[in-house]
Amino acid sequence: MKDKLYNAFVEATRNVFNLMLNITDISHRQAEDFQCDDEVDIAIGIVGDLDGEVVFRFPVSTSLNMVRIMSGMEFEEVDLFVTSAISEIANIISGNVLTALSDSEMQCNLLPPVQCEIENHKKYDLETSSCLGTAIGEICLEIRLNRP
Amino acid sequence: MDSIMLWKDQYELGVPLIDAQHKELFRRVGSFLQVLRSEDAWEEKIPKLDDTLEFMKRYVVEHFRAEEDYQQKIDYPGYEFHKQIHDGMVQYVQEVSQQYEQSDHNEDLMQQFGGRLLAWLINHVAAEDQRIAEYAKRKGLSGNEG
Repeated sequence: MKDKLYNAFVEATRNVFNLMLNITDISHRQAEDFQCDDEVDIAIGIVGDLDGEVVFRFPVSTSLNMVRIMSGMEFEEVDLFVTSAISEIANIISGNVLTALSDSEMQCNLLPPVQCEIENHKKYDLETSSCLGTAIGEICLEIRLNRP
Repeated sequence: MDSIMLWKDQYELGVPLIDAQHKELFRRVGSFLQVLRSEDAWEEKIPKLDDTLEFMKRYVVEHFRAEEDYQQKIDYPGYEFHKQIHDGMVQYVQEVSQQYEQSDHNEDLMQQFGGRLLAWLINHVAAEDQRIAEYAKRKGLSGNEG
């Protein structure tokens, strides 16, 4: 299940970046060595057959590049507009994952995206992370879920 | 400031009516974002933003209806799911608009709305709507059914 989720999130991110940002070249690796001091963390809660959250960790430069590509405008800092736009992208990616997985036995729903701070002290049944490298910067995904 | 162009030719579905409406929607959202992000004082932006918000409330409903009519005409199997997405967005636009009026034109609310609208619209047209075009192509339907 862990691998299935991991692959589904990597694939969904790849598709969304391709369709929305015209970015086709995306590499991925385990995220233990993801280091970033100025990131925006967006959590999407998951409820249903699995319970927990997926946290999208967008470095500031990646966030600004994403919004610049979508809007054709320059952004110098992460403000409410930028946070809202990348939250929606996190929401779209997560929605696509759930749609892809709903063909199998799993039924889950998403909670609205919220900006968060990463907490590492909790333990989860399913825990995995991935670091995606793109032409506009890295993104880290932290998947943390329990089976209720 | 030069006007921004959100529309990309790759978003075309090949259905003339829907493509024309999408282009108009992107043009209006582009103008809206340009005003929203300009350096002008917030008070000066409010009248233009109000105009666009009113337009959006009307035009989004009109456009979604036209798109749904087209889907029914070609027996698009994803009609119900697509309609749910449309209904969710209409509800969101109405809720934000109401909160915005009640808050006496709160800027934070509009900045959040603008960011979400931008990402939502691009994904919806670049991904969800393209599925309709792919279905129509597979069925050998021409774009003129719209």
